[in-house]
Amino acid sequence: MTLNRRNLLKAGVAAAALPLLGSRAFAQSEPLKVGFMLIGTVNDNGWNFGHATGAKFMKDTLGDLVAEPTIVENVPEGPDCERVLRELAQSGHKLIFATSFGYGDYVIKVAEQFPDVRFEHATGYQRSDNVATYNARFHEGRAVCGTIAGHMSKTGKAGYIGSFPIPEVVMGINAFVLAARKVNPDFTITPVYISTWNDPAKEADTARAMIDQGIDVIAQHTDGPAALQVAEERGIVGGFGQGADMSAFAPKAQLTSIIDHWGPHYVNAAQAVIDGTWETGDRWPGLKEGEVQIGPYGESVPADVVAAAEAVKNGQIDGSFNIFTGPINDHTGAEKVPAGVIMTDAELLSMDWYVEGVIPPA
Amino acid sequence: MMQFRLEKRREPSKVMLYATPVAAVVLTMIVGAIIFSAIGYDGVGAVREIFLTPLTNAFKWQDLGVKAAPLIIVGVGLSIAYRANVWNIGAEGQYIMGGLAATWVALATHGMGGWWTLPVMMLAGVAGGAAYAAIPALLRTRLNVNEILTSLMLTYASVQLIYYLVRAPWKDPMGMGFPQTRRFASEALLPNILPGTIVHAGVPIAVIVALVAWFIMSRSVFGYQMRVVGAAPHAARYGGFSENKTIWLALLVSGALAGLAGMLEVAGPFQRMVPGFPTNYGFTAIIVAFLGRLNPLGVIFAGIVMAITFVGGEVAQTTIGLSSSATGVFQAMMLFFLLAGDILVRYRLKRVAPQGEARA
Amino acid sequence: MTLELAIAILVTVVGASTPILIAAMGELIVEKSGVLNLGVEGMMLVGAIAAFVVLFTTGNHYLAILVAAAAGVATSLIFGFLTLSLSANQTATGLALTIFGTGFSALAGQGYSARPVTLLGPLFPSELAAHPIWRVLFGYSALVYFSFALVFSVWWFLKKTRAGLILRAVGENDLSAHSIGYSVVGVRYMAVMFGGAMAGIAGACFPLLLTPQWAERMTAGRGWIAVALVVFASWKPFRLLAGAYLFGLVMTMELYAKASGGPLSVIPAELWAAMPYLATIAVLVLISLRRDASTNAPACLGKPFLPSN
Repeated sequence: MTLNRRNLLKAGVAAAALPLLGSRAFAQSEPLKVGFMLIGTVNDNGWNFGHATGAKFMKDTLGDLVAEPTIVENVPEGPDCERVLRELAQSGHKLIFATSFGYGDYVIKVAEQFPDVRFEHATGYQRSDNVATYNARFHEGRAVCGTIAGHMSKTGKAGYIGSFPIPEVVMGINAFVLAARKVNPDFTITPVYISTWNDPAKEADTARAMIDQGIDVIAQHTDGPAALQVAEERGIVGGFGQGADMSAFAPKAQLTSIIDHWGPHYVNAAQAVIDGTWETGDRWPGLKEGEVQIGPYGESVPADVVAAAEAVKNGQIDGSFNIFTGPINDHTGAEKVPAGVIMTDAELLSMDWYVEGVIPPA
Repeated sequence: MMQFRLEKRREPSKVMLYATPVAAVVLTMIVGAIIFSAIGYDGVGAVREIFLTPLTNAFKWQDLGVKAAPLIIVGVGLSIAYRANVWNIGAEGQYIMGGLAATWVALATHGMGGWWTLPVMMLAGVAGGAAYAAIPALLRTRLNVNEILTSLMLTYASVQLIYYLVRAPWKDPMGMGFPQTRRFASEALLPNILPGTIVHAGVPIAVIVALVAWFIMSRSVFGYQMRVVGAAPHAARYGGFSENKTIWLALLVSGALAGLAGMLEVAGPFQRMVPGFPTNYGFTAIIVAFLGRLNPLGVIFAGIVMAITFVGGEVAQTTIGLSSSATGVFQAMMLFFLLAGDILVRYRLKRVAPQGEARA
Repeated sequence: MTLELAIAILVTVVGASTPILIAAMGELIVEKSGVLNLGVEGMMLVGAIAAFVVLFTTGNHYLAILVAAAAGVATSLIFGFLTLSLSANQTATGLALTIFGTGFSALAGQGYSARPVTLLGPLFPSELAAHPIWRVLFGYSALVYFSFALVFSVWWFLKKTRAGLILRAVGENDLSAHSIGYSVVGVRYMAVMFGGAMAGIAGACFPLLLTPQWAERMTAGRGWIAVALVVFASWKPFRLLAGAYLFGLVMTMELYAKASGGPLSVIPAELWAAMPYLATIAVLVLISLRRDASTNAPACLGKPFLPSN
């Protein structure tokens, strides 16, 4: 929380300093128009909701320096998004956030035509002079969740509902089980990919299938609270909110949640554009910067488990702990990362293998 | 009390044929503005942004062309099939198979392509779409299985095929593990025909396809056969036209054109195969075919109208914050009005004195 | 596999099958009358949001189901008016109805997505369902028992009643039915409205039976499965019951197989997902290969009723 406040403070200081700068360059200019392009709807309680909340945070923090953010929902990954990007750029938006991986090719393409517009592409890897990429180290949050699961699971079996096996998801699964096995060396996790980001009934049935086969902790990478609601209904050990605090849906079953807090990043990026200091690059902040947050712990989580989880969280914040530190074996038991070696960001971002303890899917 | 009654016209009204689509669009704008204002939106603004801005803003014309092109190509094929009373509603699946076949060529020839790459991809796309449409054709002609259902079922299967291919065998080795193929080599990409815009070769191809189809449908024996079999199957049989042959032709032509559209999309705007490749063009084109009155020239108009609502829907999101679901409601409303207007083509409203029993 | 796991799987299969069974049963009646309504998915979504809003506002599950049915009927009347009164093309109207239902439900559901509600509880007291075996019989909510009653009623209606005979006559030969004095359009209106009511209730199953929340497009294509199912069952109620459970089983077994991490999990997810559709085609082929080859499709299916007046 302190980190969050620090970020707020930073933004506040920047905002307070701005009238001085503004008198020189920006007093008479229009407020910055910022556009957001989303793959789904802002009402999904998950990924897109997180970005919309971040947009609102940016507006609330920067006030009159930015215009009311423009949010375009339900933009498919394909030629349609190219059109939306140009629409945004053409209608005077000087900073555009494209928040789904599949937008990448089009962001690069449109950015060439609008050199004075800054683009930021979430979860991507293609950059140019006016295209930056950004993401959040969600796997740090997964490590905290895995620690709780390792302590609390009675069966030592967790399930992980994913959409598609992209590196982001694989990384989350691996971080979760690595953390859990530090507590319980026999811990296993079974990923189930359901080939969709939003089919709540299928998510719920997946959770049922897991629980019926002895899994008592469920994590998910899909949007929405469906799996948590099943956990609540069945009274298993529990699950984790994804993207946002979902305790309203599962007051008992939610052990904690990973909260996406894009707000500070959006404030910083908008501020940099206003100041003329924006630069391309890859920004991948995590717990330390407050972009990933751990929500309140559930009532069923005992104090010692909270302490263990907090230790993992704080270790990642102060840099003393990195979940992807060797020795790490793959699921067959072969050593992939030697003892003491920390995996690089590049290795993480293209991770396509499972660590020991994952029961690999087809 | 005054009553109205519908009286069948001897011949479909030419005036109504052209007037009703226009009336449907205008009615949608008026009713849409009223309804959306009534429920607390900026109704007039929504109508302006959805229907007018894409037309008045010259910068949007390229978008209309690019969005309309696949709708027109698929819609032309479907209008031919529907004329013959063959209900292919699986154009989405044929579009996907065309795209996949073209992708296969692009990937197999990656790094050794040449001028011939695009033509071969085009052939592959056409063949892929036609081959996928051949399944319902075979089942319908041999086993009398309803083509509406088989073509629809095959669409869902083809979506899963994309997911599988891009996740496993065709995955880009340099793609950071994301499910997508590599970007096609430059020989496998459609050329841009208007510098400074996004207009690719698929746009003129769409217009040519529609013109050729119009010429064939209205001037050739083939076109005559399709129309006769559709309009009067019994007469067609006397005239020596084979119903089975017509079914085959209808499905193959509509499948081939859907496959062509798939190839143009993957080699044009997409430039690689991704899970998001199916964008409902195959389903939207069904509506385009009807909006265009099953006439290839009408389909051009209809494709552009549908493109306007898509492009305008996004304009409305960026300018007045109208949610994307509202665009769907506008589209549906327009289609409802259009379908309702159909009756005026075939019937006229006649005022009659009240009657006790009005049986035909 | 233990008995308990088998029972647990069965219970999940029942949940997955119920909405597609109810929606398909409605569509079966519609198609029996000679009308093809491809707007099931759209009507289900309207039913789902109607049920959710009522449930969230009043907390009354049964009222939610009723309102969902009414909302489904109202949506189906758009289709009915266009295709029956104005003889518009059914395929295009059905597709337009799905576009409408998707957009309308999303518009109406804005602001309802972060709201929790509760599932409809079991119909019978929990003591009856205490033992796992009894749970198979008595452990479900009223919607599940409704779906079974629906199968029987539809079968009885079509086979044993005069009204059912008229409905079939209208679907098989509309001109004859018309000439002996039945109102073809009237019968078809009733059928379309029934289909709408069932699709609405099927939509209500999503927030009431499967996952107590509202999410845009939460039916995720199951309306189309229902349409497929009617053909799969060759328009026969009990075959449709079997088909719905077969589809439910395939959809559910995928998840159980993957969650078990066992040998079946090597089958690619995509093949699982494509299976119901491929199976439908296979069944269509098998039916037509039989000696007494007739797919049992109503003869007038999808064709507008145009008496020559």
